[in-house]
Amino acid sequence: MIPEKHFLYPGALFASLKSAEITTILGSCVAVCLWDSALNIGGINHFMLPLWNGQGLASPRYGNIAIDRLIKKMITLGSNKIHLIAKVFGGGEVISTNISQFHIGQRNIMLAKEFLEEEKIPIISSSVGGKMGRKIVFHTTTGEVIQRFIPMQNMRVDEN
Amino acid sequence: MTDEELLGELKRRFEENKKSLQELRELNEQLIIVNKKLTESEAMKTHFISHITNEIINPFTSIIGLAESILSLPDKDWTRMRRMTNLIYSEAFGLDFQLKNIFIAAEIEAGEVYPCVSNVDVKSVIENVIEIFQREAMQNQISIEMICKPCENSEKKRFFKTDAEKLRIIVANLLSNALKFSFQKGKIIVHIEKEDSILKIAVKDLGSGISKENQRIIFDRFERLNAGIDSIHRGQGLGLSVVKAILDMLEGRIEISDNKPQGAIFTIFLPESNISVTDFSENGDEIFFGETEIF
Repeated sequence: MIPEKHFLYPGALFASLKSAEITTILGSCVAVCLWDSALNIGGINHFMLPLWNGQGLASPRYGNIAIDRLIKKMITLGSNKIHLIAKVFGGGEVISTNISQFHIGQRNIMLAKEFLEEEKIPIISSSVGGKMGRKIVFHTTTGEVIQRFIPMQNMRVDEN
Repeated sequence: MTDEELLGELKRRFEENKKSLQELRELNEQLIIVNKKLTESEAMKTHFISHITNEIINPFTSIIGLAESILSLPDKDWTRMRRMTNLIYSEAFGLDFQLKNIFIAAEIEAGEVYPCVSNVDVKSVIENVIEIFQREAMQNQISIEMICKPCENSEKKRFFKTDAEKLRIIVANLLSNALKFSFQKGKIIVHIEKEDSILKIAVKDLGSGISKENQRIIFDRFERLNAGIDSIHRGQGLGLSVVKAILDMLEGRIEISDNKPQGAIFTIFLPESNISVTDFSENGDEIFFGETEIF
């Protein structure tokens, strides 16, 4: 079966029973890939900020909402949480600064790790931090992720 | 270590400490704001059911009642039939508009909304939106005027690469708001401009205006000015939060200003999409560093 190709925009999430190949581009954003080892299905999100501050819509632009929604979506697709494994990507530093509040990348990574730990979903591999952007392709049937680094200056601001 | 070195070190540490404290204070302030928002959000959730009853059940009741009345009218009483059909139309129109907002908000919150870019005839999209609000405007004797700067010079300039459907939702919500807050016999102006591949659309009304305090909160969901079950303004306060979320997705922004001496101006700035119209997923000009890695 030829996998369906899909580009994931920031603030969106994708999960499907069908075989799919999902591409996304990350700067300081973080993407969590969830894969069900029993059903061989997967899902991915792409969030820009760690926590929803109660402003505007509660969309998956925010990590706490994006990860929660992704787990719920996998469960509605028939996954059992004990079969889920996670891979985490992104969270690079776009702007160098000394004020830790502005380290969005780091805060995004931290949130993903803490959230997944609380949900008892193991992170089996990850590529996070650094000063580079990333392009990743996630294969939902195999759970495999292919990654390439992109220099930050080649990225558009929105792809953070 | 000399005394001077020691002093220097102490000074440095004090400074670091001061910085951390400042950071902590700022984070704390953020936390307090978030906490307040969450409390409000919880309260609004409770009100949501009663809002929904008011906004959805009531129009349906009127539609059913009016349709029943039409059915029991004597033959060929066209005048009364017309009048009642008109009422059905406006109730159904309002309902349709609100349901669409609820659905798009749900889609955005589920992360299932994508930009769908094409070469859009901006003028005709906006004309179309104005057209559908015309009836509501006429009932309140409000006139809607459109000024399209890019159309004056050349026909070609009306085209802009963006998401037509999302643009329609944005303009519809801004217009609906302007109508809601306009006085009778008012006037609304929709001003279209294009500068350096940024589309600027301003919706100006002569209504009651929005205070600085309220300008901060109107983008939050379920937030309505003069909220309350008996408010004369309808809607569940989703409109502007939907507008904001769509603009975030399309990398645009919104500004509110006073329309002196009276009313408000909502201006949206929308950058032209650089996603190729034919294939959005192609990123041909990327430069990669190093090898492909597999995780």
